[in-house]
Amino acid sequence: MPALDWRLVVKALAGFVAGLAVWLLLSPQYDRLIARCAEATLRTFEKPPVTRLRPGEDQYVTVDRTDFGSGSQRPAIPLRDLTFNFVLLTALFATGKRPFSDRNIAGFLIASVLLGLTHIGAAITEVMSIYVAKLGLWSNVHYGSFARNFWGVANHFYRLVLMYAIAFALWWIFRGNDGDERTKTRGRRRR
Amino acid sequence: MRAPMQRPQVLFLVKFFVILIAAYLLIAWNPVNDNVIVPFTAWIARTSGWLLNLMGQGVTMNGTIIASSKFAVNINNGCNGVEAMLILLASIGAFPAPIKSRGIGLLLGALAIQVLNAVRIITLFLIGAHYPKYFDSFHTAVWQVIIILAAIVFFLIWSSRVARTRLATSS
Repeated sequence: MPALDWRLVVKALAGFVAGLAVWLLLSPQYDRLIARCAEATLRTFEKPPVTRLRPGEDQYVTVDRTDFGSGSQRPAIPLRDLTFNFVLLTALFATGKRPFSDRNIAGFLIASVLLGLTHIGAAITEVMSIYVAKLGLWSNVHYGSFARNFWGVANHFYRLVLMYAIAFALWWIFRGNDGDERTKTRGRRRR
Repeated sequence: MRAPMQRPQVLFLVKFFVILIAAYLLIAWNPVNDNVIVPFTAWIARTSGWLLNLMGQGVTMNGTIIASSKFAVNINNGCNGVEAMLILLASIGAFPAPIKSRGIGLLLGALAIQVLNAVRIITLFLIGAHYPKYFDSFHTAVWQVIIILAAIVFFLIWSSRVARTRLATSS
């Protein structure tokens, strides 16, 4: 059984708590920003541009289209379910040998910006998965089975594992080589 | 100035995503989902329900549903620990290590994830029954991240041990 490295566990938990606090505090503003960027991207590819994403007070973003009937129900998406991998990213960066080093902080900031871009992509995927499959006859008329499968699988894959894999990969790329150096040093000491 | 990633690190990431995608497609395939994932999830529900009954919660289990007079949960993909096991499988599979070390790592890691997952289901059920307004936050941001973080921390400890053993052997 691998011996438990308590310093690593404590650092990860401290990073988790800090990340959770920041995420809870900034989520209302962050959700608005992501909704605005996702809406702009969707409208760029729509002819005519019809999608409107309206953040509400209840942590949900209402998906509206100007071509929807006035009496029809508007679906809503929980943006927070797509963005909480920020907490994982923070926890992972906290596990570094020197979490507050300039290098680690810079890596964390770059990774956070890139994570934000993936959140816009995730919001678009969520909206598209509603368009292709959850609007009954309207979905069947406007989208084929390829689009239904593509956006459905993309959305399910993101929610199940990809959102965590992205946070892990960004940390792996931007963490520096602390972990490797630590392993090598220990190896040399043993010799 | 940030040093560019070395080839083994890039290779690790490529292998990680290839294994992750392959494993995801396998479990998302209907025959595997219906004959492996759903029965496995039902077993998790039965075990967690049994533990909740030991704590005097008076729950009944029906398939993947755990219910009491106060609250009910349906355990789906994302709450059965399979997502964390996929991350563990992809990371251990992508890391250069002997087959035996990988097997032991996967087995112990999966066991640790499932023990932690049982704690997650029990605490979520209790939160849902007694403090329902906190259920959503704990269900997603708190427990989901803790389970994945546990899988990654396990991988870091395991890989560090494997790398040390390799260095000691090669010297």
